[in-house]
This record gives sequence, C-alpha cells and structure tokens, in this order.
Amino acid sequence: MMSALLLGVLASSIMSGTSLLFATIGEIVGERAGIVNLGLEGIMLVGAATGFAATALTGNAYLGVGAAALAGTAVNLIFAYLVVTRRANQLATGLTLMFFGLGLSALVGHPFVGTLIAGLPKFRLFGLGRMGDPLFSYDFLVYLAVPTAVAVWWLLFRTAWGLGVRAVGESPVAAVAAGLSPGRLRYQALALAGLLGGIAGAHLSLALTLTWAEGMTAGRGFIAIALVIFAKWNPLWAIAGALLFGGAESLQLQLQAAGADVSPFIMNMIPYLLTMLVLIFWGWSRQTAAPAALGRNFVGVE
Amino acid sequence: MARISVFMAACAALVTVLLAVAPLSAQQKPPLIVGAIFVGSVNDYGYNRSMKDGLDVMKSNIPGLKLIEAENVPETAESQRIMEGMIGQGAKLIFATSFGHQQFAFNLAKTHPDVYFEHAGGWMMAPNFGNFFGNTQSAWYPMGVAAGKMTKTNTLGFVVGVPIGYALGNVNAFEMGARSVNPKAVTRVVVTGGWSDKAKEAAAANALIDQGADVVTMHVDSPATIIQTAEGRGVYSIGFQSLTARQLAPKGWITGLGFTWGPFMTQIAKSVIAGTFKSASVHEGLGQMIAIAHFGPAVPPDVRTLVMASADKVEKGFNPFTGPVTDNTGVVRIPAGQSWGGDKMGNFDWYVEGVIGKAK
Repeated sequence: MMSALLLGVLASSIMSGTSLLFATIGEIVGERAGIVNLGLEGIMLVGAATGFAATALTGNAYLGVGAAALAGTAVNLIFAYLVVTRRANQLATGLTLMFFGLGLSALVGHPFVGTLIAGLPKFRLFGLGRMGDPLFSYDFLVYLAVPTAVAVWWLLFRTAWGLGVRAVGESPVAAVAAGLSPGRLRYQALALAGLLGGIAGAHLSLALTLTWAEGMTAGRGFIAIALVIFAKWNPLWAIAGALLFGGAESLQLQLQAAGADVSPFIMNMIPYLLTMLVLIFWGWSRQTAAPAALGRNFVGVE
Repeated sequence: MARISVFMAACAALVTVLLAVAPLSAQQKPPLIVGAIFVGSVNDYGYNRSMKDGLDVMKSNIPGLKLIEAENVPETAESQRIMEGMIGQGAKLIFATSFGHQQFAFNLAKTHPDVYFEHAGGWMMAPNFGNFFGNTQSAWYPMGVAAGKMTKTNTLGFVVGVPIGYALGNVNAFEMGARSVNPKAVTRVVVTGGWSDKAKEAAAANALIDQGADVVTMHVDSPATIIQTAEGRGVYSIGFQSLTARQLAPKGWITGLGFTWGPFMTQIAKSVIAGTFKSASVHEGLGQMIAIAHFGPAVPPDVRTLVMASADKVEKGFNPFTGPVTDNTGVVRIPAGQSWGGDKMGNFDWYVEGVIGKAK
C-alpha cells in the first residue's frame, strides 16, 4: 500500500518534473546572462502549441519537439531584441511576452484542439523495471532531462562561452573590458533559453497530457522562475528543485487518491505553499548568489 | 443627347435590378439571430461540445436561424463585452453557457430589455433572463451500476474539478449505483481544484489508477485527458458532459453521460420568435437534458440490460437519495423516510459510505 504510493509519487514526479526542469535550466541560462525573463510561461505555451500542431500535422512527435524548440527560440529572440537591442525594461517586456505567448499559442493551437495524437513513445532504458511496471518507462525527454541539466552546467561553468555569459551577467562593463560582446552573448543565451523553454512546453502537450488547450501550462512557467532562485542559478540544483516541486504536485494528488484525511482545498495548495516557503527561506540568503547585473540593461561604456 | 439617354437607360436598369433583388433579400432575413458564448473550446469532447451540439440541433430545427458563436470566452467582464458585440450584430437571444458568465449576462439583461438571455447552471432570474441545467445526480446512478459490474479490482476512480455540492452529489449517486450491484465497490476521489487543468487531470487519473482503480470517471469540463490517460494505462473509463467522448477510448469505454440541450434550446428559440418567452429556471434530468452514451465493445449484454433497466428506473422517478443514507464517517445524513430532491443537490458537503475521500 505504502510502496504503491511511493512508487506512484516517484513516477509522477519524474513525469511532471521534466518539463519544469527544462524550463528552469533555460531560465537559469538567461538569468546568468543578466536577463530575467518573466515571459517563460508564454515561451512554454508557444512550445506546447507548436509541438502539438507539428505532431498533429506530421504524425511524428519527435518532429513536434523539434518544432517546439525552434518556436521557443524564435519567440525568445524577439524578447532578446526588445531587451538587448532596444533596451526595454526586462520585467515589463517579460510580462508582455507572456501575454504574447498566450495569444500566439492559442492562434497556433486553435485548429488542433481536440485532435488525437499518439504522443512521444515511451520505452525502457537498460531493461530497468519489471514488465508492465509503469515506473521506468518514459519518453526520451525524461531521460534527457538530467543529462541536459549536467550539460548546461558544464556549458556555463567549464567553457569559455559560459564564462563569458556569466561575466556579462555579473558585470557587462568588465566583460566589455575583457573584449567580449555583452549583446551577442545575451542573444545567444536567450536563444538557448528559448530552445529549452519550448521543449519544456512540448513535454506537457506531447507526453503528459497528449492534448492542447489554451493556457495549459497553468502557471508552471512562473514556478520555474521561482525554482531558479531555489537552485541558486545552478542547473544541478535545479534537478532537485524540479523533482521537489513535481513531487509536491504528484504527492498531493496521490495522497488524495490514497484517501488522506485532509481537505482537498488544502491539498491543492501544497505545491504553491512549498514554492512560497522556498522563496521566503531560501530567497533570503540567495539574493547574494544572483548574478550582480541581473535585470539591469546594459547601455554601453562611456 | 446620346450620353443622357445612355445614362437614363443605366438608371432604369439599376432600378429594375434593385426592385428584383429587394424581395429576395427580404426573404433572406433570418427569423432569429442567436448569440452563444463558450468558456472553452468546442473541440473538448466535453461540456462545451455538448453546448455546441445543442445549438446545432436548435439551428437545424429552425431554418434560416443565424448563430453567432465565441469560444474561449473567459468568465470575466470580457464576456460582457463579447455578448454586447453579438447584440450589436442583431442577436435577440443569447446563450451564456458557463456558470461564470452569469453576472455579466445579467448586467446586459438589465440594459437590453428587448434581448433574451439563457444562462446555464445558475439561479438569477429576470423577465428576459432564464436559467437552465441538467439534473445530473440521479443520472450517475446507472453509471455506477455499469462501473460496479465491470470492475475487477472493486476500486473505482473519480476525478472532481471543484468539489461543489453538485459534483459531490454526482460522486455519491455513482457510488450508490455501484454498491447496488457490487457491495464491495469503493470510489476513490481526487480533486484537482479547477474545472480544466489538463496536466493535473492526467496526474490525478494516474494517481487513481496507481491506487488500484480500474474504472475511471470524472466531473471536469473536458473528459478527454482523463479518458485518454485511462486508455493509455489499459483501464476502463466512463465519460461525462458529451456523448462524443466515446471516440477517445475505443477499447476501454464502458458508457457515459452526455447533455442533450438541443430540444430545450429549440423550444427557447421558438418562444423568442413567437414572442412568448417566459423566464424560468428549467432543470431536466435523464431522458430529457441528459442521455446515456452508447456502450463500448467491452461491455457484455447482461451488463447493458442492467444499466438500461437502472436508467429506466431513474427516468420514471427513482431517487437514489432516499433515506437512510450514511456518509463515509458513519453519520446518518438522510434519515429514513426522507429524501433529497432536486433542490437540495447543491447542498452536498459529504460523501456516502464507500467513497474514499474528504469532501471539504
């Protein structure tokens, strides 16, 4: 009884944590470059809608993921143009991006609402698990999530490009002095962030629910933004954060199914209470861990 | 001189054409322009689809009727703007199909006394404003009968969007129906907190199946995600809201409930055309506003007979909420000799014996 509950929670956390992880890693890349993107929700929606549309049209969910990644990149590059080249306020532009993504995704997804797709195929890796066991049989994005987090960590902390991105996020002036181009690096970082955000959205529509509905991310983009703080802007910690939040949501649903004697209203609040606690207790000291130039536009050296 | 005569000839031709066309366009004028707003997409295999299908039936019953529709209308002041736009286009009858549209439609009813409004699922009334909905609770009893007979694990799963009284009543009738043919059947309930959150609905369905449910059903706006999740996990599903949901589960579909709004909507439209609209709060049940979907291939003939017999009982007036009824904490909620009628269906804040879950 208890093990069924734990296994169920684990399987469900992994499934719902995957899209959160991709979104969080993407946002980390952008924020390491000094750009806070509040429009992550919009990017995820565009990814979900485009991925679903492409899958419905081609019958191939992998192509759908590719289309979602491209769409996310394209939309985030619009955001990049606005905040980097035009130096618009990042917070306001981010929120605008969210509404833009909401509308664009609705437009793209509208002809496909109600379409039935097969979704991303699930398979076992290395023969894990017993036959028929729901655990350990996932789509390729789940298996790629943690390696992607590690790859992005390596990219940010072990490559020259990553060093440049982080330098721009700490002090664009110093970066210019070192011969780097903050604008170019920010564009590149945001392109990567858009790609990952689009994939995050695609996992929702192509693996988790196999549908498209307007606004289906239901606030996950904002949860990811909070998780960036929890993760101290480090992709490796993001793995724990995504699993924790994905776990919180799965846990409350699994506990309900198991018959927990707690009001369903309180149960549904659990993931958001957890996020708030995280922000209160961890956000405090982690303010100093944020990239120094986060949120500030770079207008050039005199 | 020649130019004037050409001009006169052209004028004569124009006047002739206009006179010829005028009676034609008078024939083209529709008997009624109807506006309808939906809270979601009509392609949801659920609530909105049932409303759309009802409107299409109304349209086919009244030749020439013009229908203006708007999907994804939020339950905010935006809906008022959209309905106002429809009135501007000549709509004389507006169907506000979602609960949250009530206040906004009501506001317009006050400022447009010559336009008639029908709202689904509320209580407000005015001379040009009426309310309607289906009495779903007793209709869930035969669904429970079907589930009780088809389950092998004796565990049924119910996903509830928002735990309002009507939804709890649906769960209760379902469990009572199941118990009537299978005394060991229990119903586990998971509440997602909203009428439409696809990812949560998928996770909720998975949670129920993880806990052993082999028949899953729901009260949310769209049954699609839950049914597809159940089908993917190889368990049975029972649908709600729209009869079209059957297409989503070719193997696991047992049966389902769907709203049949068409006859009621036709009657309202006809009354508006005839000038005899009477504001009323119309609630109809199984056999009128609610129908039972076709059975899936897995359902054997004896179960089908049993379910239809149960449905027949309900249509003839059987009320499952007749005392004594005990809740799942042991308290007697409906004493012997009493019964809860249609007016009390919103009062449920408890689950019957056999339901595993907390009501509030």
